[in-house]
Amino acid sequence: MNPLSSQALFDQASLSIRFLLPELTLVGSACALFLLAAFRSSRRFSGCLALGAIFAAAGVAFGIPEPSFLAADRFTAGIDPTGVAVFVRWLALGAGVIYALLGFSDSSRQTAPEYFGCLLVVLAGLSMVARVNDLLSLFLALEMISIPTYVLLYLPTKSKAGQEAALKYFLLSLLSSGVLLFGFSYLYGLTGAINLPLVAETLSKASQVGPVSPLALVAIVLVIAGLGFRLAAVPFHFYAPDVYEGAPNGVVAQLAFIPKVAGLVALARIFGLLTPDAPFDAARTLIPLTLWVIAAVTMTFGNLLALIQDNLKRLFAYSGIAHAGYMLIGFLVATEAGAGMQSGFDAVLVYLVAYGLMTVGIFCVLGYLTHTGRTIETVDDLAGLGRTNPVAAGMMGLFFLSLIGMPLTAGFNGKLLLFFGAFETPPTTPLKDLYRILTLIAALNSAIAAVYYLKAMGVMFLRAPLQPAAPAKGYAAFLAAFLCAVGTLGLGVYPKPLVDAARKAAPIPATKSPTVLVVSK
Amino acid sequence: MFDLSSPIGLALIAAALPLAGAVLAAILGWSKLGRFAHLPAILSFASASVISLLVLAGVIEGDGALSMSADLGTWFSVGRLNVTFAFLLDPLSLVMLCTVTFIATFIAIFSAGYMRGDAGYARYFSIMSLFVFAMCLLVMSNNFFVLLAGWEGVGLCSYLLVGYYYAKPSAAAAARKAFLVTRLGDVGLVLGIFLLWQAGGYHTTFDSLFDHIAKYPPASGTITAICLLLFCGAVGKSAQLPLYVWLPDAMEGPTPVSALIHAATMVTAGVFLLARCAPLFVLSPEAGLIVSCIGGATALLAGFLALAQNDLKRVLAYSTVSQLGFMFLALGCSGVISPKVAVVAAMFHLFTHAFFKALLFLGSGSVMHAMGNVIDMRKFGGLRKLMPWTHATFLIGSAALAGVPLLSGFWSKDQILHGLLEAGESHAKYHTIYLGLFAVALATAGLTAFYTFRAYFLTFWGTERIPHEAHGHAHESPAVMVVPLVVLAVGALLVGLIVDPLTHGFGHFLERSPSIANAHAGYLAHSNMVEKPHAFSWLVAGLSSLLALGGIGAAFAIYRRGGPEIVPAKLKPIYALSQNKLYVDETYAAAFVKPAEWLASTGRQFDAFLDAIARLLSFAPRLIAGLLRPLHNGLVQFYALGTVLGLAVFLTVVVFRSAR
Repeated sequence: MNPLSSQALFDQASLSIRFLLPELTLVGSACALFLLAAFRSSRRFSGCLALGAIFAAAGVAFGIPEPSFLAADRFTAGIDPTGVAVFVRWLALGAGVIYALLGFSDSSRQTAPEYFGCLLVVLAGLSMVARVNDLLSLFLALEMISIPTYVLLYLPTKSKAGQEAALKYFLLSLLSSGVLLFGFSYLYGLTGAINLPLVAETLSKASQVGPVSPLALVAIVLVIAGLGFRLAAVPFHFYAPDVYEGAPNGVVAQLAFIPKVAGLVALARIFGLLTPDAPFDAARTLIPLTLWVIAAVTMTFGNLLALIQDNLKRLFAYSGIAHAGYMLIGFLVATEAGAGMQSGFDAVLVYLVAYGLMTVGIFCVLGYLTHTGRTIETVDDLAGLGRTNPVAAGMMGLFFLSLIGMPLTAGFNGKLLLFFGAFETPPTTPLKDLYRILTLIAALNSAIAAVYYLKAMGVMFLRAPLQPAAPAKGYAAFLAAFLCAVGTLGLGVYPKPLVDAARKAAPIPATKSPTVLVVSK
Repeated sequence: MFDLSSPIGLALIAAALPLAGAVLAAILGWSKLGRFAHLPAILSFASASVISLLVLAGVIEGDGALSMSADLGTWFSVGRLNVTFAFLLDPLSLVMLCTVTFIATFIAIFSAGYMRGDAGYARYFSIMSLFVFAMCLLVMSNNFFVLLAGWEGVGLCSYLLVGYYYAKPSAAAAARKAFLVTRLGDVGLVLGIFLLWQAGGYHTTFDSLFDHIAKYPPASGTITAICLLLFCGAVGKSAQLPLYVWLPDAMEGPTPVSALIHAATMVTAGVFLLARCAPLFVLSPEAGLIVSCIGGATALLAGFLALAQNDLKRVLAYSTVSQLGFMFLALGCSGVISPKVAVVAAMFHLFTHAFFKALLFLGSGSVMHAMGNVIDMRKFGGLRKLMPWTHATFLIGSAALAGVPLLSGFWSKDQILHGLLEAGESHAKYHTIYLGLFAVALATAGLTAFYTFRAYFLTFWGTERIPHEAHGHAHESPAVMVVPLVVLAVGALLVGLIVDPLTHGFGHFLERSPSIANAHAGYLAHSNMVEKPHAFSWLVAGLSSLLALGGIGAAFAIYRRGGPEIVPAKLKPIYALSQNKLYVDETYAAAFVKPAEWLASTGRQFDAFLDAIARLLSFAPRLIAGLLRPLHNGLVQFYALGTVLGLAVFLTVVVFRSAR
């Protein structure tokens, strides 16, 4: 049957739409918000509408059963709703609630509808990254995250720094999108397919018969570079500190988390790490070593530069770079997936959730404090917070402890899974002992990171307050921070549900065909 | 679950009541009703005491082993160790529970008068209730976890109460000393518990632990080590050589607290622990010998130190140390003679001692109350007429402590002496040493009578002298303080006679404890001894009466005119030695504290050295970061260039190296 016949196309499209109902709800609500902006712009109204849209999407996701999906459909379907798709959708909706709450204090009255509308589109894009099944829609989904972010960055800008941030992000993001698209075009050219599992399988099969095509390597490096920008991995990280510094809290909170999730999940899907039957075999090439170097350099670079920052947002930009490095460890381990592995991509998912809770939580506290009339720009502005706003400072302290990786916080469990997975990787893999060395580097980095987090905590709790206690306002941001704190502590004390969910989303492949394990150097 | 109306259920209710009292008193303290904070404490102690006495009345009849246990759920479970909230009711714990709650009731009543108007009234009663609760927890425990929880709770509360006047530097120092010195013993205790688990197959409840050890006896060295480590804990808590130094200093707390510590809640914990672990001690004669020797040495030394103290409470404190030494003397015999004699004698002495020591401390508190918080015997005297009730009850307490025939102290001391003599006359390996210890005990008994009555005469006889701090308001204490004195005095007079010599009920009842019965079985198996009937010995009774009366007579001869004290020139050096506590505190300071301080300061210098190195190391990341910083120059075209260059490097390396 002609695949382009209108009836087949229609069937496929209608099937795809049924897998995307929650995302469509989000985008539809966003459109309504954009339209509404012409008539009424109120922060509370738009915010409540956005929250309602998120809950409606959750209701749709929960209440309307999806059509059945067979594993074999993966190679033809436009949407793959299994595995990581479910995990990321709920992650996006959960994060959406937090962001919407934070938006109450972060958006300005005039631009509130646009603010919340863009947020909804970003959330839909994030969810779609994990479920669309071909290169083109994947690119579109990624742009659904990037383009609203440009708008979000530009919306509140009256200041020069803000305009600069928006422009820088726009230019560099375009560059990275171009690189990514370049890589995608190579992949299509090599395999003649845009279906993600098909691409991975074709590459895999080709590499099993003959030598790995250099063009395939070029494509992969280009894809890593394009998505590395979203992760803020060195050397594609340059934008982060400048953009963070000029952007408002709520947007920084999104920038720090959503592109990282999208980038990592997209990378894993292109590499076929989430479809246990056909992982792309890159083990014979220098790709793992490249990733090793990127991971090591990224975390070291981020932590070292965070050490000398005074500005809080710059500090968290570098800290975010460092955390991207940690997550790349998990990604690297997942590319080695094989017998005897302790963990794969599931560790990355757990770490992403933990990282999101603590980092977004920090920006929620900052949003709450800024809303109550303080200006918090530098670390020193936190002085004496423990005395003037003890609850906010307590939550902030909890997030810092989690970022350091103290036991009983979510951050600890995330780090434990990542580091343990790398440390326990069998030495039969091509990188041999390099995994252990990477674990050591990561542990050293955690120690360096503890310095600047603890320094900030010391400023908060030990120094005399510089600003008087602020009046209690901005309950929405406070609630968002509180939710993050509960999550950080709850998943720290009882991480099992999260780990189980992550395992379900990204199962560890039981075995790998032995031919692939051959080292050819 | 278990039945709350069963004996153990009632006993647990009794044990939990003080906790409720503590919470209520604390709540009252927060509200404006702080001046009623004594009510929850007194009521909870009194009802706990009544309940436990009812339980006692219910189970006292009959023969055969008496032991009930209850599990209130799992605390935690790790590997082979399953730790539950396990409680045990047997004669040993029941006797302790009755004693503790009964004595505490009257101490609390006395405190209501003594502490009236104090700023921390509610705090006092709240912590006191917690103190009693911790002790109840300790005695009711059926595994070492709950026991340790109670044990440390007692330690914490004693710290809080000794340091009750926390603004006073000496009180704060005394509290710290009490806590730290007893912690020193606790280290041994915890190690002993670990070793015991290892040897006892990781059982947790006492019975199964001791059964396992009886069935699969470990090497004798192991069992001795376990016993001695457990004894370490007892040495700290029960103020024996060399860790007795905290108890005399603990006088810094309010006087009723001293009564509580000395009579009921704290120092008896060590004796109880060893009684509970008697089945272990019968297996190791060496450990028993060491326990006895330390007990004897402590008894004699403390008796000597009590001779020349000017502080009335200090005299009593040293007498407590000395009497506890007596109890350990008896406990140490349990491998040589039947634990039915040895442990029962120690517990009996603990029981009678609780009455007269609480009485004496409360009496001294009454004196202190009247004298405007002065307790130095050089500053007052001849209070006989002024404080008739206090005088009469104090006299009864002193006589009981001195061991005057027919009073309660006489009977229990007699049992200990008798046990020691029996041990000395046995054919065991170390029987000559026990004979020597018998002599030491006799000498201490004489000393006890002498120093007790020295204090009595100096305080109540001679011409009436009142310190100016009393502001002429010296008077007999109010009824709320006198009534407890009278009740305890009646106890000190009669309780010894009633419970044992007349009825033999005490010993008979205690023997029904499984731990003592097991210990007895172990003793019979271990020493191939034939059980001898325990008989009253006129020789021992006569000797001890003679010594008691002799000591009192000597005190009468020297001190009947009251103060000020005149010391004959020839005895001056000995007197000074006793008064300065044999320079033990100074020796400890020179031998342990100074080297520790030196070590600490050396460590600090070393630390500073390491710090410098660490600083040097920590400078490196900042240096590197400083070098990397110019990369972020803010120029977007440079950023793009950096990105593309990085991409180019990766491409070159990956493609060309792989394609080679």
